[in-house]
Amino acid sequence: MTESSPCVRVDDVHKSFKRGSEIVEVLKGLSLTVNEGEFVALMGPSGSGKTTLLNLIAGLDRPTTGDVWVRDACISGLSENALASWRTSGIGFVFQFYHLLPVLTAFRNVELPLLLLPLTASQRKTQVLNAFELVGLPDRMYHRPGQLSGGQQQRVGIARAIVTDPALIVADEPTGDLDSKSADEILDLLGELKRSLGKTIIMVTHDPKAASRADRIVHLEKGQLVDDVPVLMAKH
Amino acid sequence: MKYLFLIFENIQRNKVRTILTGLGTMVLVLVVTLVFTILTTLDRATTEKSQNLKGIVTEKWQIPSQMPWAYASALTEGGAKEPDDSKPDDFMTWGFYLGSTEPDPKKRSFENLFFGFVMEPEKLMTMMDDLDQLEGEDKRQLEASIAKMQENRQGVIVGPGRLTKMNKRVGDRMKVFGRNFKDIDLEMEIVGTFPRGRYDESSVIRRDYLNASMDAYQQTHAGKPHPLADKTLNLVWLRLSDRDKFNKVGQQIDKSASFTQPAVKFETASSGIAAFLEAYRDLIWGMRWLLAPACIATLSLIISNAISISVRERQKEFAVMKVLGFRPTQILMFVLIEALLIGTVAGVVSAAMTYGGINYGMGGLPFQIAFFPRFLVPISCLWWGALMGAGTAFAGSVIPAFSACSVNVANVFAKVA
Repeated sequence: MTESSPCVRVDDVHKSFKRGSEIVEVLKGLSLTVNEGEFVALMGPSGSGKTTLLNLIAGLDRPTTGDVWVRDACISGLSENALASWRTSGIGFVFQFYHLLPVLTAFRNVELPLLLLPLTASQRKTQVLNAFELVGLPDRMYHRPGQLSGGQQQRVGIARAIVTDPALIVADEPTGDLDSKSADEILDLLGELKRSLGKTIIMVTHDPKAASRADRIVHLEKGQLVDDVPVLMAKH
Repeated sequence: MKYLFLIFENIQRNKVRTILTGLGTMVLVLVVTLVFTILTTLDRATTEKSQNLKGIVTEKWQIPSQMPWAYASALTEGGAKEPDDSKPDDFMTWGFYLGSTEPDPKKRSFENLFFGFVMEPEKLMTMMDDLDQLEGEDKRQLEASIAKMQENRQGVIVGPGRLTKMNKRVGDRMKVFGRNFKDIDLEMEIVGTFPRGRYDESSVIRRDYLNASMDAYQQTHAGKPHPLADKTLNLVWLRLSDRDKFNKVGQQIDKSASFTQPAVKFETASSGIAAFLEAYRDLIWGMRWLLAPACIATLSLIISNAISISVRERQKEFAVMKVLGFRPTQILMFVLIEALLIGTVAGVVSAAMTYGGINYGMGGLPFQIAFFPRFLVPISCLWWGALMGAGTAFAGSVIPAFSACSVNVANVFAKVA
């Protein structure tokens, strides 16, 4: 695949939620294309639909109308089980609050998605070790989340997201709970994943500094795409 | 198998809650095991057999049955008179002697109470329930005690629990003051004891010793017989090989003119015991249909509550697992297996402790009902316990498990954000 081929394609997506007797339309005919190996930042005010869009791209929710394609799969048409299988190796999700399982060591947390794949214990171990090497945390593998700093926990979260080698990584405010130094380190890491492994990254953020690390910034407002510019242009 | 660590880690997440849930399961499995022990023993005793039947002859119109000893010889022959009449394969007569080692009626208590079956000692090994199944050292010791009893008319075998309460031991002599047979006081020598269990509190006295004591009473009371002299035979047990023989012997006893004053009836041991248990019908019904189901329902609710709390606490984790690709059915199975593991382990441990503690520590469950002074917990309680623990854990975890697997990821993270 070339860098210009689309990794994610969102076609005229509408998404409505029922709140009491009222129907709230969060996304209003939104279309977006993200190419392979691209790092895109989604920005916009609260309630603009960023996280909803991210959930649709990650296959965690379904559009009311419209289609979401990731590579060759129309994920909005998949059954719940097929979607679960696709998520295992098709996508890596990085959360704002890390959401590591507190009873498991960092190693076990990262190994978790690999349990769903037909791998032997030694194959799983190799992949987990590689993921820890990539995020620069091999000496903290056997610590529990409670024994790690926020930045370290987020690195474990990223290791968990990349351990199955997905083409696409979605991150929902990955630096939102971190101090600026840790946030910089996490953004460096995401940038490195894009550069050295060719991962496609879609990141929701409120922070313009974090967004400036992306190739492209997409602005959403009231469920619609209002601005979509490369970072170099945005800086000017 | 590769998911087991996840289940074990989750069980250890809140050790106090896991231990309390396990303890709750253990206590309730204990109660239900004890209830089932009593019910299954009674059920077994009242279940009709088709082969190797035991029948009981008792007085027809009166409880307790009190027949004259003169009936014994004809009844033990099954009322047979003609050469082709059927005869029982074996027999045993029972009289009941109740007394106390304490001469002063005001000082009589449970500790100095004495209850003895008045019977033929040699029939202990062939006709007494459970004793006819003895093997090994227990059998050898009882046979030795019976042999001593046959040599000594005043010999008595006393259950180990009763010996302890009376503060006596084998070899001691004692005088027992009659309570149902007033003024019939018996001098006895303890020649042996029973194995622990059903006959823990019982004793056996030789029939000819009671008869001789009755005769002695008459001699010392100016030829006047004891008021109960004609009422010393309470039951006659007959063993018959099959139902046909049983019916034939029953007809012989019914038709015989020898057993009319008082009239007698012949029935299977099971129906005789069932009739005797009629007085306990409401108690047994309550145990079977109220106490046991209430325990099981309570246990299910306790487990359901504990698992529900755990599921609520872990909603985010289930959502994360869904994001990682776990299917709803896998999450459902994790929650169910966690509960089943706690329930099954606690159930088996509780049942095993109940089995060991009651049977070997206490010599049976001391719950006096009808002829059953103690109940032995059956070995099958191990699988009851496992099944009960697992069943209640399953019932209690179904709703929380469904709630866990139907977690809506977008909603959970929307709340977090």
